[in-house]
Amino acid sequence: MKKHIIFYFGIALMLSGCIENVSPWEKETLAKPTMKVGGTNSLAKKFEEHMYYSKEASKGGSGVAGGGCGCN
Amino acid sequence: MQLKISLAAATLLSALCVQADDYVSFEYLQYDENKNRTSVSAPSLIINKDFGVDYTLNFSIVADAVSGASETYYDASSGASAIHSRGTNVSQNDVKYGNVEYDDNRVAGSLALTTRFDNRDELTVGLNRSNESDFYSTELSGEYMHYLDESKNQSVSFGLSYMANQILVQCSATGTGSCDTLSGGSEEETADTISTQVSFHQVLDSTSFTEAALFYMQEDGYLTNPYLNVVRDYNSGTAKIVGENRPDSRSIYGLSLKYAKAINDEFTTQASYRFYNDDWGINSHTIDTDLYYEPSSDWLIKVGLRYYTQSEADFFKFEKDYFTNQTYASSDLRLSNFDAVTYKSYVEYKFSDDFSYNISANFYDQSTDLSATYFMTGFKYKF
Repeated sequence: MKKHIIFYFGIALMLSGCIENVSPWEKETLAKPTMKVGGTNSLAKKFEEHMYYSKEASKGGSGVAGGGCGCN
Repeated sequence: MQLKISLAAATLLSALCVQADDYVSFEYLQYDENKNRTSVSAPSLIINKDFGVDYTLNFSIVADAVSGASETYYDASSGASAIHSRGTNVSQNDVKYGNVEYDDNRVAGSLALTTRFDNRDELTVGLNRSNESDFYSTELSGEYMHYLDESKNQSVSFGLSYMANQILVQCSATGTGSCDTLSGGSEEETADTISTQVSFHQVLDSTSFTEAALFYMQEDGYLTNPYLNVVRDYNSGTAKIVGENRPDSRSIYGLSLKYAKAINDEFTTQASYRFYNDDWGINSHTIDTDLYYEPSSDWLIKVGLRYYTQSEADFFKFEKDYFTNQTYASSDLRLSNFDAVTYKSYVEYKFSDDFSYNISANFYDQSTDLSATYFMTGFKYKF
């Protein structure tokens, strides 16, 4: 756990040198559908997450709402 | 003074230009695994409706028709199902591993309401419900997003959810307690999950952002897969095929990092990494990358690659001659040490500003010998 926190802290430090203040009227590109977290198609994303949930042992990291399944 | 008025006018103009994100979207999924294992046909629908600029309601529903087979150990000499033949002595030659057929239907729905406050912070509350013939799940969730600066380039989100599951477990020949061992009845088990997540979002410049999240989950209750078997006492000469048994709690934590960058007007890339750890002994790493290409305003093409690797659970062994009297035992390959790669492709075409059609083809390949293809097609209509 500790080494992962150090890893992320290191990345945050590196990124802090790259941060620019972006004004609201400069956010046209950031508002594009392709820049949306999770992609342009939320249903397709739900399908994929459900598949991984049922075929792999890991879960989490994509928000707290997910829903469950028996997943035989 | 003139500059201030111009800035205020520009801000006002951008606010007025905010369009409602009202749409209905339909997708159909066809998922097929190799070796005649699981197939899933699943139509789904999502409706998103803005009420002014302060409220958004999102509703989705999916109906899965699942058929095929799960792989597990079973008694080849018994005419009974893999579950009802449990517990009896089996000769070594009759212990087989293979497909045990099943079919199921699932209907799952979700409803989420997002409220935006005067400072544009957001609160989203949601309800999920999933019904199968032997599994019922209800989840309540809430997430609060708070902007940390005036330009809204930094935000932090706190999420919390509670999920309650009911599982109907078919009685086996060695059923216990109130389980009716003769009629093939079932008894009800329960499991709960509490999930929390804290995430930090940072705009890096006018074409990129990053997001880091820390998540923790606690599962308690019946976490065993009621359909999967293990072999015990194989070397004694008369093996026993019994249901697997997992611990009744699991603590999970993980970290994730996302990055998105618009390279130019045509190309956008998104990349993410997730680290996962639980107290069953499983660690995993996931790297997911997508590249979007927009050759014109009508076309969107996406290709993606996902790599996943996990270590095995402490109580997992696939070998049929391993388990004797261990409390926890599972031969479910989903708890094994494996890698997986997903190859993704997606094409979207806009017939008009309001109507678009999409199709995608994907291939999932696990080192456990499981592979699957899944195709999706659908449309989105903005109203």
